[in-house]
Amino acid sequence: MSLLTPDSVPTVVTTGASTRRASQAVTPRFKLGDRVVARNLNPIGHTRLPRYVRGKHGVIHHDHGLFVFPDTSAHGEGDKPQHVYSVRFESRELWGAIADPRASLYIDLWEDYLERA
Amino acid sequence: MNGIHDLGGMHGIGPIAPEKEEPVFHADWERRMFGLFIAAFAGGHYNVDEFRHAIERMAPAEYLTASYYEHWLHSLETLLVEKGVLKKEELDAKIAALAKEGS
Repeated sequence: MSLLTPDSVPTVVTTGASTRRASQAVTPRFKLGDRVVARNLNPIGHTRLPRYVRGKHGVIHHDHGLFVFPDTSAHGEGDKPQHVYSVRFESRELWGAIADPRASLYIDLWEDYLERA
Repeated sequence: MNGIHDLGGMHGIGPIAPEKEEPVFHADWERRMFGLFIAAFAGGHYNVDEFRHAIERMAPAEYLTASYYEHWLHSLETLLVEKGVLKKEELDAKIAALAKEGS
Protein backbone atom coordinates (compact mmCIF):
# COMPACT_ATOMS: atom_id res chain seq x y z
CA MET A 1 0.00 0.00 0.00
CA SER A 2 1.42 3.40 -0.92
CA LEU A 3 2.49 5.86 1.72
CA LEU A 4 1.10 9.35 1.85
CA THR A 5 3.49 11.99 0.54
CA PRO A 6 3.46 15.60 1.85
CA ASP A 7 2.31 17.00 -1.51
CA SER A 8 -0.68 14.63 -1.64
CA VAL A 9 -1.98 15.50 1.84
CA PRO A 10 -4.26 18.40 0.74
CA THR A 11 -5.89 16.19 -1.92
CA VAL A 12 -6.43 13.30 0.46
CA VAL A 13 -7.92 15.58 3.12
CA THR A 14 -10.27 17.30 0.65
CA THR A 15 -11.36 14.25 -1.34
CA GLY A 16 -11.31 11.68 1.45
CA ALA A 17 -8.88 9.61 -0.64
CA SER A 18 -11.26 8.90 -3.51
CA THR A 19 -11.35 5.31 -4.75
CA ARG A 20 -12.08 6.42 -8.32
CA ARG A 21 -10.05 4.64 -10.98
CA ALA A 22 -10.09 7.27 -13.73
CA SER A 23 -7.18 5.85 -15.72
CA GLN A 24 -8.71 2.43 -16.34
CA ALA A 25 -11.31 1.52 -18.94
CA VAL A 26 -13.94 -1.16 -18.37
CA THR A 27 -16.97 -1.50 -20.63
CA PRO A 28 -20.11 -0.64 -18.66
CA ARG A 29 -22.74 -3.36 -18.45
CA PHE A 30 -25.60 -0.84 -18.35
CA LYS A 31 -26.44 2.33 -20.25
CA LEU A 32 -28.61 5.29 -19.30
CA GLY A 33 -32.29 4.41 -19.23
CA ASP A 34 -31.74 0.67 -18.68
CA ARG A 35 -34.19 -0.92 -16.27
CA VAL A 36 -32.42 -2.76 -13.47
CA VAL A 37 -33.19 -4.59 -10.26
CA ALA A 38 -31.00 -4.39 -7.15
CA ARG A 39 -29.81 -7.87 -6.21
CA ASN A 40 -30.93 -9.41 -2.94
CA LEU A 41 -27.44 -9.74 -1.46
CA ASN A 42 -26.94 -10.29 2.26
CA PRO A 43 -23.19 -10.63 2.71
CA ILE A 44 -21.75 -11.10 6.19
CA GLY A 45 -18.95 -8.71 5.21
CA HIS A 46 -18.98 -5.10 4.00
CA THR A 47 -21.41 -3.84 1.39
CA ARG A 48 -22.76 -0.47 0.37
CA LEU A 49 -26.02 -1.91 -0.93
CA PRO A 50 -28.67 -0.77 1.59
CA ARG A 51 -31.38 -3.20 2.61
CA TYR A 52 -34.21 -0.95 1.45
CA VAL A 53 -33.27 -1.19 -2.26
CA ARG A 54 -32.65 -4.94 -2.43
CA GLY A 55 -35.06 -6.59 -4.86
CA LYS A 56 -36.39 -3.20 -6.00
CA HIS A 57 -36.64 -2.04 -9.60
CA GLY A 58 -35.05 1.17 -10.82
CA VAL A 59 -33.62 2.93 -13.87
CA ILE A 60 -29.99 3.83 -14.67
CA HIS A 61 -29.79 7.62 -14.49
CA HIS A 62 -26.05 8.34 -14.68
CA ASP A 63 -22.72 6.52 -14.95
CA HIS A 64 -20.17 7.94 -12.49
CA GLY A 65 -17.27 5.91 -13.91
CA LEU A 66 -15.03 3.31 -12.32
CA PHE A 67 -14.57 2.91 -8.58
CA VAL A 68 -12.98 0.32 -6.31
CA PHE A 69 -15.55 -2.27 -5.19
CA PRO A 70 -16.00 -1.87 -1.40
CA ASP A 71 -17.29 -5.42 -0.87
CA THR A 72 -13.94 -6.93 -1.91
CA SER A 73 -11.66 -4.06 -0.93
CA ALA A 74 -12.80 -4.20 2.71
CA HIS A 75 -11.62 -7.81 2.96
CA GLY A 76 -8.29 -7.82 1.14
CA GLU A 77 -9.91 -9.43 -1.90
CA GLY A 78 -8.80 -6.88 -4.47
CA ASP A 79 -10.02 -3.61 -5.95
CA LYS A 80 -12.32 -5.12 -8.61
CA PRO A 81 -12.93 -1.64 -10.15
CA GLN A 82 -16.35 -1.32 -11.75
CA HIS A 83 -18.89 1.24 -12.88
CA VAL A 84 -20.96 3.01 -10.26
CA TYR A 85 -24.34 4.21 -11.43
CA SER A 86 -26.84 6.67 -10.06
CA VAL A 87 -30.03 4.61 -10.08
CA ARG A 88 -33.47 6.16 -9.82
CA PHE A 89 -36.11 4.38 -7.75
CA GLU A 90 -39.71 5.55 -7.48
CA SER A 91 -40.61 6.20 -3.83
CA ARG A 92 -43.67 3.97 -4.27
CA GLU A 93 -41.41 1.12 -5.39
CA LEU A 94 -39.39 1.49 -2.18
CA TRP A 95 -42.05 2.36 0.37
CA GLY A 96 -45.39 1.35 -1.08
CA ALA A 97 -48.68 3.18 -1.17
CA ILE A 98 -47.90 5.66 1.63
CA ALA A 99 -45.13 7.24 -0.47
CA ASP A 100 -45.54 10.40 -2.55
CA PRO A 101 -46.30 9.21 -6.11
CA ARG A 102 -44.21 12.06 -7.55
CA ALA A 103 -41.13 11.42 -5.41
CA SER A 104 -38.12 9.32 -6.31
CA LEU A 105 -34.72 8.49 -4.87
CA TYR A 106 -31.36 8.53 -6.65
CA ILE A 107 -28.78 6.25 -5.12
CA ASP A 108 -25.25 5.35 -6.25
CA LEU A 109 -24.82 1.61 -6.74
CA TRP A 110 -21.89 -0.51 -7.92
CA GLU A 111 -22.44 -2.66 -11.03
CA ASP A 112 -22.22 -5.95 -9.09
CA TYR A 113 -25.27 -4.86 -7.05
CA LEU A 114 -27.45 -4.74 -10.17
CA GLU A 115 -29.11 -7.09 -12.62
CA ARG A 116 -30.97 -6.32 -15.80
CA ALA A 117 -34.71 -6.13 -15.09
CA MET B 1 -23.52 -7.05 6.72
CA ASN B 2 -27.08 -6.37 7.82
CA GLY B 3 -25.92 -4.17 10.69
CA ILE B 4 -27.28 -1.33 12.76
CA HIS B 5 -25.50 1.21 10.49
CA ASP B 6 -27.98 0.45 7.69
CA LEU B 7 -30.68 2.71 9.14
CA GLY B 8 -32.49 3.64 5.92
CA GLY B 9 -36.23 3.18 6.29
CA MET B 10 -36.24 2.65 10.06
CA HIS B 11 -38.88 4.39 12.14
CA GLY B 12 -38.79 5.86 15.64
CA ILE B 13 -35.34 7.42 15.59
CA GLY B 14 -36.64 10.97 15.36
CA PRO B 15 -35.93 13.79 12.96
CA ILE B 16 -32.44 14.78 11.85
CA ALA B 17 -31.48 17.94 13.73
CA PRO B 18 -28.68 19.76 11.88
CA GLU B 19 -26.57 21.90 14.16
CA LYS B 20 -26.49 25.61 13.32
CA GLU B 21 -22.97 26.95 12.69
CA GLU B 22 -21.61 23.47 13.26
CA PRO B 23 -17.87 23.56 14.03
CA VAL B 24 -15.57 21.19 12.12
CA PHE B 25 -14.51 19.70 15.45
CA HIS B 26 -16.45 19.83 18.71
CA ALA B 27 -13.41 19.10 20.85
CA ASP B 28 -9.65 18.89 20.46
CA TRP B 29 -9.67 15.11 20.66
CA GLU B 30 -11.82 15.03 17.51
CA ARG B 31 -9.21 17.09 15.64
CA ARG B 32 -6.59 14.63 16.85
CA MET B 33 -8.71 11.66 15.78
CA PHE B 34 -8.93 13.10 12.26
CA GLY B 35 -5.14 13.40 12.16
CA LEU B 36 -4.67 9.87 13.49
CA PHE B 37 -6.97 8.51 10.80
CA ILE B 38 -4.87 10.14 8.07
CA ALA B 39 -1.57 9.12 9.67
CA ALA B 40 -2.54 5.46 10.12
CA PHE B 41 -4.02 5.36 6.60
CA ALA B 42 -0.79 6.84 5.26
CA GLY B 43 1.10 4.20 7.22
CA GLY B 44 -0.67 1.59 5.11
CA HIS B 45 -2.62 0.04 7.99
CA TYR B 46 -6.04 0.00 6.28
CA ASN B 47 -8.06 1.26 3.36
CA VAL B 48 -11.26 3.29 3.63
CA ASP B 49 -13.51 0.25 3.12
CA GLU B 50 -11.86 -1.69 5.93
CA PHE B 51 -12.22 1.42 8.08
CA ARG B 52 -15.97 1.69 7.36
CA HIS B 53 -16.50 -2.02 7.93
CA ALA B 54 -14.83 -1.88 11.35
CA ILE B 55 -17.36 0.83 12.29
CA GLU B 56 -20.21 -1.42 11.12
CA ARG B 57 -18.90 -4.20 13.35
CA MET B 58 -19.43 -2.13 16.51
CA ALA B 59 -21.94 -3.56 19.01
CA PRO B 60 -25.32 -2.15 17.87
CA ALA B 61 -26.22 -0.34 21.12
CA GLU B 62 -22.76 1.19 21.30
CA TYR B 63 -22.96 2.26 17.66
CA LEU B 64 -26.19 4.16 18.27
CA THR B 65 -25.00 5.99 21.36
CA ALA B 66 -21.45 6.86 20.22
CA SER B 67 -20.63 10.06 18.36
CA TYR B 68 -19.20 10.35 14.86
CA TYR B 69 -15.54 10.55 15.84
CA GLU B 70 -16.04 7.90 18.54
CA HIS B 71 -16.95 5.60 15.64
CA TRP B 72 -13.63 6.54 14.03
CA LEU B 73 -11.72 5.85 17.24
CA HIS B 74 -13.41 2.48 17.64
CA SER B 75 -12.50 1.54 14.06
CA LEU B 76 -8.88 2.67 14.46
CA GLU B 77 -8.46 0.65 17.66
CA THR B 78 -10.14 -2.44 16.16
CA LEU B 79 -8.00 -2.42 13.02
CA LEU B 80 -4.68 -1.67 14.71
CA VAL B 81 -5.26 -4.55 17.14
CA GLU B 82 -6.42 -6.93 14.38
CA LYS B 83 -3.41 -6.11 12.25
CA GLY B 84 -1.00 -6.57 15.12
CA VAL B 85 0.16 -2.94 15.34
CA LEU B 86 -1.17 -2.67 18.89
CA LYS B 87 -1.77 -5.39 21.45
CA LYS B 88 -5.21 -5.46 23.06
CA GLU B 89 -3.51 -5.63 26.49
CA GLU B 90 -1.41 -2.54 25.72
CA LEU B 91 -4.49 -0.63 24.68
CA ASP B 92 -6.51 -1.72 27.73
CA ALA B 93 -3.62 -0.88 30.05
CA LYS B 94 -3.24 2.60 28.54
CA ILE B 95 -6.99 3.28 28.78
CA ALA B 96 -6.99 2.12 32.43
CA ALA B 97 -3.98 4.33 33.23
CA LEU B 98 -5.59 7.37 31.60
CA ALA B 99 -8.88 6.71 33.40
CA LYS B 100 -7.00 6.56 36.70
CA GLU B 101 -5.17 9.78 35.87
CA GLY B 102 -8.43 11.51 35.04
CA SER B 103 -10.35 10.35 38.10
